Amino acid sequence: MKNQLSRIILILAAVALALVFLYPTYEDYRHRQNILALSGPDSLIYFEQNEDGILQARLNRIKLGLDLQGGMRVVLEVDVLQLMDDVAKNKDDNFRSIVAEVRAESETNDESVVPLFIRKFQDRGIRMSRYYGNIRDSDELIAAFLGDETDKAIDRAIEIVRNRVDQYRVSEPNIQKQGGRRIIVELPGVKDEQEVRQLLRGTAKLEFRLMRDPDIAYRVMQSIDNFLVGKVAGDTAKPAADARPQDQKPRDALAELTGGATSAGSDTSQEGKFTQEHPFFTYVIPDQRNSGEGYVEEKNRDRVIRLLARPDIQRLIPTDFEFLWSAKSFSSSDGKKFYTLYATKKTPELTGGVIVDARASVDPEDNRPIVNMEMNSEGSREWARITGANINKRVAISLDNSVFSAPTVQNKIVGGRSRITGMESPGEARLLEIVLKAGALPAPVAIIEQRTVGPSLGEDSIRSGLSATAYAFIFTVLFMILYYRSSGLVADAALLFNILFILGVLAGFQATLTLPGIAGIILTIGMAVDANVLINERVREELAGGKTMRAAIDAGYDKAFSAIFDSNITTFLIGIILYQFGSGPVQGFALTLMIGIAATMFSALLITRVIFNLLTDRNISPSFG
Amino acid sequence: MRFFKKTNIDFLKPRRTMYLLSAFVIAAGVVSLFVKGIDYGIDFRGGTEIVLQFEQPLEIGELRTALGTTGMSQSEIKTFGSENNILIRTTEQGEGLIVGDRIKNAIQEGFPDSKFIVLKEDKIGPKIGEELRRDALYAVIAALVVILGYIAIRFKFIYGVGAVAALFHDVLVTLSVMSLLDGVFPHLNLEITQEVVAAFLTLVGVSVNDTVVIFDRIRENLKIYRTMSLGEVINRSVNDTLNRTIITNGTIFVVLLILLLGGGEVTRAFSFALVVGTIAGTYSTIYIASAIVLDWSLRKKKIPA
Repeated sequence: MKNQLSRIILILAAVALALVFLYPTYEDYRHRQNILALSGPDSLIYFEQNEDGILQARLNRIKLGLDLQGGMRVVLEVDVLQLMDDVAKNKDDNFRSIVAEVRAESETNDESVVPLFIRKFQDRGIRMSRYYGNIRDSDELIAAFLGDETDKAIDRAIEIVRNRVDQYRVSEPNIQKQGGRRIIVELPGVKDEQEVRQLLRGTAKLEFRLMRDPDIAYRVMQSIDNFLVGKVAGDTAKPAADARPQDQKPRDALAELTGGATSAGSDTSQEGKFTQEHPFFTYVIPDQRNSGEGYVEEKNRDRVIRLLARPDIQRLIPTDFEFLWSAKSFSSSDGKKFYTLYATKKTPELTGGVIVDARASVDPEDNRPIVNMEMNSEGSREWARITGANINKRVAISLDNSVFSAPTVQNKIVGGRSRITGMESPGEARLLEIVLKAGALPAPVAIIEQRTVGPSLGEDSIRSGLSATAYAFIFTVLFMILYYRSSGLVADAALLFNILFILGVLAGFQATLTLPGIAGIILTIGMAVDANVLINERVREELAGGKTMRAAIDAGYDKAFSAIFDSNITTFLIGIILYQFGSGPVQGFALTLMIGIAATMFSALLITRVIFNLLTDRNISPSFG
Repeated sequence: MRFFKKTNIDFLKPRRTMYLLSAFVIAAGVVSLFVKGIDYGIDFRGGTEIVLQFEQPLEIGELRTALGTTGMSQSEIKTFGSENNILIRTTEQGEGLIVGDRIKNAIQEGFPDSKFIVLKEDKIGPKIGEELRRDALYAVIAALVVILGYIAIRFKFIYGVGAVAALFHDVLVTLSVMSLLDGVFPHLNLEITQEVVAAFLTLVGVSVNDTVVIFDRIRENLKIYRTMSLGEVINRSVNDTLNRTIITNGTIFVVLLILLLGGGEVTRAFSFALVVGTIAGTYSTIYIASAIVLDWSLRKKKIPA
């Protein structure tokens, strides 16, 4: 039977696909068990050896929601009124009383702030151009300007939060914009709540720092390299280093860098020899063009950060010298991601408060993206002095200590209008615009929702969720066999495939499994039975009517179809509505419910049918109890 | 094995009595809702909620005294799942996360010897709560409208009305039972949270599932038994599908019961709503959805257009 064959192929393909999607989840589980079984340094070595596999598996496994693995979810909202207050000029008593009024009213009232704010001005007959824009601007123009400022503020706030979260090195953070004014930040597995809060508040710190001379930068790196292999640092660093006795410290520091994985002496290859002689330069590749930059592969970044933070390494670094990381990574030709390590002065030349405006645009002459930056008069004076004294030197622009750009000073800039070139794409220019403005204009945000789930509650939830699923499954399986005999067994097989498909689809879509999601699976187990019950009851009726087994099965499936179809469609529609209106946990439930319904239709209608056909073709009569 | 051999029970005969029974349960629930008010969870109310796990049980009265220093002694304080877990909830709003910090500090000062860990901490701004309430209402209305439309198209309009009336009934009965039992048993917190609203929508799904199966049988039997009256056909259909009704709803019921008893504190109110809803849904398929279809058709016959 051709039809039968193509059905079998379809089923096998679906099963294979589900297994492929689930494989990383299994791998992740296996690695974690292995790491747990090993202790301390052994587990670190294991991690080193399997790092690529572990990271790959972690990326593609079924993700657990915050309610299951613990963590923090924060919803931030841009405080529009505060922003209106911040960007206004010539503020007087009238202005302040309006702000206070709007603040009081917006607490109770649903109207959005900008229209309410504008109406208050119109009620009092005050032109908004007194505080915003040019004196001749109409209120409509200013309303548009204020709306625009709100949009930009949210982008700034997102960039600031992303930059900080990135530095905090949370694994798998999720930062997204919701609607026009909100940011959702999800930080799984975060334990220290206090630290996270610091990430989310406070004004961003924008700084202009001069880069250290490339030669000095290289000498500092060299002294760290020497220190790590046990050579006493020479004239490169502070003289204090001379007094240090040859103790175990470099060994510790070395272990920090290499993760203790180096088996000394056994590696005789060229590469191995270089690693032994120059451990620091193995991990931090100095720029060949002598720019004083170092490049660190993404996977080594944490280690280099830890190494540089060590007091014995800090002692090798001169005063007024600091290593700063680039905010974004770049990809090399072989696809590896690298971060740049910049050597800058510790004291900033200027801070972001002097910036009045920044705009990304395009150079009319060569169509390259540029950013125009404008400073206030005080900043302009300083800027002229700094640029004048440092022509052909580089200035690092950093936000919260991450470097976003390090342009070279071309000439003395008088008047405060600077042009930054050298961006690779318009996107990069837009990012720099956001960063420059983030330092100048705070993006006032308020925490309007915060949910923390402690890791122990998460573990509890997983445990009770899984055991409830297991019990529900066992009960259903046993009951079906008891009630329908061998055809119950067929239904159970379909149920098993069903669960496999649900998990496979979850993994394939990179969806997140939440506790309500597990509840959705449990409910699906209960409802999946319904399709088989409908079919089996029909087959029983047809058998009672005197049909042969094969005819009864065919009729049973035909007649049960409309009921199965209509009832599942209605439930599926509910799933869509739940997904649309619900937030976080509810969406997780809706998703598994919908996947479950689709999987149920597939396994109950197709898989059981194929099994029955295979049996009757071989003249084996299944029992319907 | 089978539960029922061919049955011929006149299910629809006592439907008037059953209307009264449903009305009675709902009326009791409405009274309870008015007296107790709807026990909204933190999601819908806004405020701060903290669940702390202590090493040994603490007196709730003492905790309240300790909280007195913050001016939040009116907060709701109760156990959460076990004796050692304490839930503290206040509708007080403050900037950022200050309210939660004040609670934790006050307890640390009041009980310097008791260590605790934070199991859960939620802060919901006042506007969020309002928005979630509105979204939940929209979701329930949208679900009912969609179902009315789908069933009206696949069957007849009056079937859609019957199904939606049954769903209204199920939601109201479940809400009533939850309101009546809330706070009656220790450790059973039946607040209306986002998850419970999801449970309402799910029970709407499960219940309509059940209704559609019987409607499907009625649709089929109307073509087979052309001489039978509608009442007889409906009864015949309910009898035909009786085994399926018992098995499917029984399985779902047991599975949900497992979730209720073993699924942990977080899903408790959720699974409770579904357990009650499953019973209500099974019942309403016969005594609300089918009964309305029958009574409507009988009335139309009496008053010929």
